[in-house]
Amino acid sequence: MQLRLNSIKRLGTIATALGPERTRSELLPFLNENIDDEDEVLLALAEQLGNFIDSVGGPKYAFCLLDLLETLAAVEETVVREKAVESLNKIVDVMAEAGQTDDVLKYFVPLVKRLAKGDWFTSRISATGLFHSAYRHIPRNNQTLKDELRNLFKELAQDETPMVRRALASKLSKFASVVEVKYVEDELIPIFVRLAGDEQDSVRLLAVENCAVLAKLSPVKSEVREEYLIPIARELAADKSWRVRFMFADKICELAEGLGFDATVKELAPSFYKLMEDCEAEVRTAAAFKIASFFETISRLDENMTDSSSVVSEVFEKLYSYSRDLSLDDSPFVRSALASNIMSVAPIVGPEITRDTLLRMFLKLLQDDFSEVRLNIIGSLEKVSQVIGIEKLASDLLPSIVELSEDRNWRIRYAAIELTPTLARQLGKSYFESDKKLGMLCVQWLSDTVYSVRELAIKNLTSLTELFGEEWAIEHVLPAIVALYKNSKNYLYRMTALHAMSSLSSKVPQEVVEQLFLPLLVEQACRDSVANIRFVAAKTLQDVAQYIKKETRSNLIIPCLEKLNNNMDEDSDVRYYANQALIALQSLV
Amino acid sequence: MGISDLDAWIEKLKDSVLPSEDEIKVLCGKVREILVEEGNVQVVYAPVVVVGDVHGQFYDLLELFKVGGEPPWTNYIFLGDFVDRGYNSVETLLLLLALKVRFPDRVALIRGNHESRQVTQVYGFYEECVRKFGSATVWRLCAEIFDCMSLSAVVEQRVFCVHGGLSPGIESLEDIEAIDRKQEVPHEGPMCDLLWSDPEEVEGWTLSPRGAGYLFGEEAVQHFLHVNHLNFIARAHQLVMEGYKQMFQGRVVTVWSAPNYCYRCGNVASIMELDENLERNFKVFEAAPESSRPEKGRVKAPDYFL
Repeated sequence: MQLRLNSIKRLGTIATALGPERTRSELLPFLNENIDDEDEVLLALAEQLGNFIDSVGGPKYAFCLLDLLETLAAVEETVVREKAVESLNKIVDVMAEAGQTDDVLKYFVPLVKRLAKGDWFTSRISATGLFHSAYRHIPRNNQTLKDELRNLFKELAQDETPMVRRALASKLSKFASVVEVKYVEDELIPIFVRLAGDEQDSVRLLAVENCAVLAKLSPVKSEVREEYLIPIARELAADKSWRVRFMFADKICELAEGLGFDATVKELAPSFYKLMEDCEAEVRTAAAFKIASFFETISRLDENMTDSSSVVSEVFEKLYSYSRDLSLDDSPFVRSALASNIMSVAPIVGPEITRDTLLRMFLKLLQDDFSEVRLNIIGSLEKVSQVIGIEKLASDLLPSIVELSEDRNWRIRYAAIELTPTLARQLGKSYFESDKKLGMLCVQWLSDTVYSVRELAIKNLTSLTELFGEEWAIEHVLPAIVALYKNSKNYLYRMTALHAMSSLSSKVPQEVVEQLFLPLLVEQACRDSVANIRFVAAKTLQDVAQYIKKETRSNLIIPCLEKLNNNMDEDSDVRYYANQALIALQSLV
Repeated sequence: MGISDLDAWIEKLKDSVLPSEDEIKVLCGKVREILVEEGNVQVVYAPVVVVGDVHGQFYDLLELFKVGGEPPWTNYIFLGDFVDRGYNSVETLLLLLALKVRFPDRVALIRGNHESRQVTQVYGFYEECVRKFGSATVWRLCAEIFDCMSLSAVVEQRVFCVHGGLSPGIESLEDIEAIDRKQEVPHEGPMCDLLWSDPEEVEGWTLSPRGAGYLFGEEAVQHFLHVNHLNFIARAHQLVMEGYKQMFQGRVVTVWSAPNYCYRCGNVASIMELDENLERNFKVFEAAPESSRPEKGRVKAPDYFL
């Protein structure tokens, strides 16, 4: 099979060798006869044929390819059919662009008709994907043919096989975009209405998206919107199948865009509130994810309106009160979804409301039992602080940050530490002295069990040193780093101390590096029993060397590195890093 | 292929960018050179982190490195089953091979029962290679590498590391050294047992319900440790919901390193740090969060599961 697959993938090369004429008279018939192959081969064939027009002699001969693709469009395997439909659409576009309209009418339209009337439902499914390109290329004066195609489309909408109706529902909006407005209103809207009431929920749920798209087709009369689309939206929001309601919640913004400000406020918003207290957690989750973007959409649509600000703030109050219930929801996924986006409304509602209402929810969610909720809400700190400024938050946040930095989940500890420099800018140096809780924590984080947290702890101390100055570092940080090296039986923490030295050496005075770090590096780390420590020490020496006097470099560092390098160390990585460091040091001289 | 090329590959692989087929050929050549020199019982020094099954869960492997640290800063011994079942066996194996070539003394790779032609054709690695490279060439290259992988390791002469477990045909470490390992995993015999056996509360030896290898009890473990002057056995091969499990008063440890195995088991994973004094320190971790997994290459559930 591999062999056949490869040869199909090289079909283009084969055709070039044969030339257009023999491709048409020999290769295509051959392929036509050998259609009983594995799906994987057929898939490759369906794809190749879409790019085959030049090989058969250009658009003039493109119709030759249709037969084979028609067969592929009727096979059982979905992916093969979908690829065939894609290629057919591609080919007909090229034909029409090249002015071969007659061929389109003579070959392509009948093909669509045949597939649409096929006995087996697979071909009828494929037909649904071809209507829009067929219809688009029929000349305006050929109304009879256009009528015929629309009628066929209508027939398929009543097909007995749910899969066909489903396929048709998914293609409805595409078809609507090429059909004349008059017929959209007279014929397609009724089809939409029927599909929206289909017995299968898998069909109904596609109506949600169709509703949004149809409403957006600008020429559609507002009566149509009022009479059909809005009532159907209302029904879909209250559908008995949770999957349909889920889809409604998920597509709420598209629906709002389509139906406009008034309908959104009057119809969609109340439906949305209901979904926020739906009996299915999945539906509430979907709604919770959309609260902020739904509100954003409403405020945006409102921009063209006058005297509606009170309406918008009323919507906000409602959304907020339902959100408050969601923040106490039994399902952690609902709360997590809420936490992921609710704070995005802060910039819209402004500082006053943010301070009075949102902030309370923010602090509440920070205390949630479920770690993902805490993580999500921490992530939105910036949005809130943009609106009301961090100074308002710092004192409220401090206890939470302290608590989160000791969380069981390392990603939460990480998120909390990441916020520390921002917090430090507001709180000031006094909170970060080594006898204060935060100051102690900053050093403790270096001993975290997780590597990434330790690395972040180093970065944090470096940022704080930049902020509070070298005096602060010398007093509160550096002794702790030296102690960390000396007291750690586990090599991972000795390594953290070395990495911290590399990172901090650029921020503290030269004497400190020489007096505090250097002896430790040269006398202890380079002689450590663990090879990893020895090569990290070599790398650290390379990093700190530029902050050290030239004579100290040549008296102390270079001999030490040479000792490690000249095959004195049994470990090849130690020799490698020592050698790298020596090369780097030479360029310093 | 120099060190800077390798460093570049490793960085790219971490972004799940695959090397070309030709580059993989070169890489496999290098790995081969290193692996064939290794004994059937590889000598490893502490400190080292012991890792269990990974099974193509590439983003969880990256998560593992975030927790344990990356080579060369941390030393690792991987107990096999790098491939199959997960969506990214290719990325997983290639990253480990590249790290092995770049830091041969910092990374040890031991063969698992999934590092075999037969098993990978059933459980996904073969298909993934064909899908990602359009042919089976890469799979064939990797399968040759599997044949070169060592069967076990001993840390500081005290901790025996193996994918599955013991074999009634193996009394001492010398018996393992005597195996001709450069072949497809056989259906029976000592080499098969090392990769397939499981510890169990049984007397002596029982045939394994897996259809290959044995179930071995405490007595067999004590005997093996005594004869070879070992402290304990570290192995993988069995899903443990808590990430690790100690048996027989800590004489056998199972380490499992694929969190939420097959993306649905709901288990946590772990790695075991052996420090300079061979103290065990387990680090438990969860699956990488959704946000760190790109959608590409993942199979979407059909929408009737919506």
